[in-house]
Amino acid sequence: MSISNPLPLALVPGNSFIHNVSPGPKMILVVGYVILAFSTQNIIILYSMAAIAFIFAIWAGILRTFLKGLLILLPIGSSLLALQILAPAVEKPWTAAAELGPVTLYIDGLYYGFVLLGRIFASLAIALVMLMTTHPSDMFTTFTKLRVPYTLNFMQAMTLQLIPVFQREVGIILSAQKSRGMKGSGFSAVLPSFIPVFVGAIERVQQLSISLESRGFGSTGHKTSYRKVKGKWSDTAIAVCSIVIMATLAVMSIMRGSWNLSDQITFSANFVLGLFLLVAGTFLTIVTITIAFMFRK
Amino acid sequence: MSNPIIQFDDVSFSYAGTDSFALQSVSLEIKEGEYVAILGLNGAGKTTLGLCVNGIVPTMLGGNLTGKVTVGGLDVSEYPVRELAKLVGIVFDNPEFQMSQMSAAEEVALGLEHAGVPHEAMHEIVSDSLAMVGLAGFEARSPLGLSGGQQQRLAIAAVLAMKPRILIMDEPTSNLDPIGKQEVFDMAAKLNGEQGMTVIVIEHEVEVMARYADRVIVMDGGRVVMNGTPQEIFSRVDELAALKLRVPEAVALAKQLEARGVWKGDFPVRTETAVDRVNAMLKA
Repeated sequence: MSISNPLPLALVPGNSFIHNVSPGPKMILVVGYVILAFSTQNIIILYSMAAIAFIFAIWAGILRTFLKGLLILLPIGSSLLALQILAPAVEKPWTAAAELGPVTLYIDGLYYGFVLLGRIFASLAIALVMLMTTHPSDMFTTFTKLRVPYTLNFMQAMTLQLIPVFQREVGIILSAQKSRGMKGSGFSAVLPSFIPVFVGAIERVQQLSISLESRGFGSTGHKTSYRKVKGKWSDTAIAVCSIVIMATLAVMSIMRGSWNLSDQITFSANFVLGLFLLVAGTFLTIVTITIAFMFRK
Repeated sequence: MSNPIIQFDDVSFSYAGTDSFALQSVSLEIKEGEYVAILGLNGAGKTTLGLCVNGIVPTMLGGNLTGKVTVGGLDVSEYPVRELAKLVGIVFDNPEFQMSQMSAAEEVALGLEHAGVPHEAMHEIVSDSLAMVGLAGFEARSPLGLSGGQQQRLAIAAVLAMKPRILIMDEPTSNLDPIGKQEVFDMAAKLNGEQGMTVIVIEHEVEVMARYADRVIVMDGGRVVMNGTPQEIFSRVDELAALKLRVPEAVALAKQLEARGVWKGDFPVRTETAVDRVNAMLKA
């Protein structure tokens, strides 16, 4: 009854340096990344941040799962860039790069498109590194230290736990449907299986709440923790370094009016055309595959 | 075996939104250190009886309770479940639904965390509890990756860690294979024998109950219809049959032999007793 973990959100076990950094500095890093990513428009900073997250992923030995998690960027990124080329989010006049039948491709929005993509890319990449290298219980303990309410904390930990359980339950119900001669794959088979899964989920949650309550879940007294997150000097060093570097960059960006480099970085018409064909093609392929999968016979 | 640790005084209960009674005028006493088995068909009120003992009925699962349930001197309708949790541990039939943690050790430690047991003391209690159920060395394993029997024993360990005086097991072996069942019952017998823990088991396995229990309580339609030693209860073969309940095979055998005029005297509730008696009869 072992459970594989098909969702690239959970911990990838390991014993690398990155795995051993406490959740505290990692959380600081993630929050810092998000703040810095949204206070700068400097694509060099943004993509360097993403590259650093990549280095962390390689260092932690989680690259494969990490890349799987990043796949979500494919539809988001491709549609984002395609839209910026078709309808730039900057003031007119726009510079046309090429005519493609009835549509005109513009150069002006592309820089901003890369900025948007870079923000999502960097934030997602560092968040994935943190999720995949941090034991949920350690995160739980750290949140508790930060005085996040116990129940809220527990809910978040439970959610990560329940995803694989429900995935397995859907699998069991699909097999049961198959064995009764119903369709066992595709979207139209998954849909009817939701009802038994949800009914099962309600039953499970009720049973769990009774079980938890009878182990003193609702107690109002001081709660202790089985796992202890040990603070190491390296954790403090990492936390301080990340705060200093990111704060400096954020302040520099804000002082330079978000440090937009669009004047210095220009894209050639051919680059825009090629990129558009690439991203539009990618996006349409993803959409086609998704639709084909949903209505698969 | 001294004072009653659990006392039901004319208790009736109906779940919210229903008219039918899950428990009807139940009066019984269970003494500290007793091993009690509760028998009955599904819907006879066995589970509700168990839930009354740690206050889940009526505090968590609402309904209308009349009469009085006292556990360790506390009136259950006046104390929250979390208080009674220090006294009563309860394990249900579906162990997987009771798991919420990433590792077996954390699962066991959960109740201790809620009780505020210091971090330093926890590791020893956790490994002791796991060892008690034969899961030593399983600390880091994911509860969801264990077999059904292991999960059930883990659920029991999680309850044992809190050192309750009363252990209630509601059909603890319904998902287990014969070896798994044996392990669970042996363990309960050990806790009962060595630590004097009061054990209440809700079960369908009459052979096992005949072997371990000090007392058997038979329920039907929310009422306690029989209450006595396994010997007394399982000798009432016809009454149990009328309630659609089985008796141990040894008793059934003796009953048939009695009908043919071969068997005389008490019915044997344990297989070994039956074997000895039959052996003696053959030699005579």
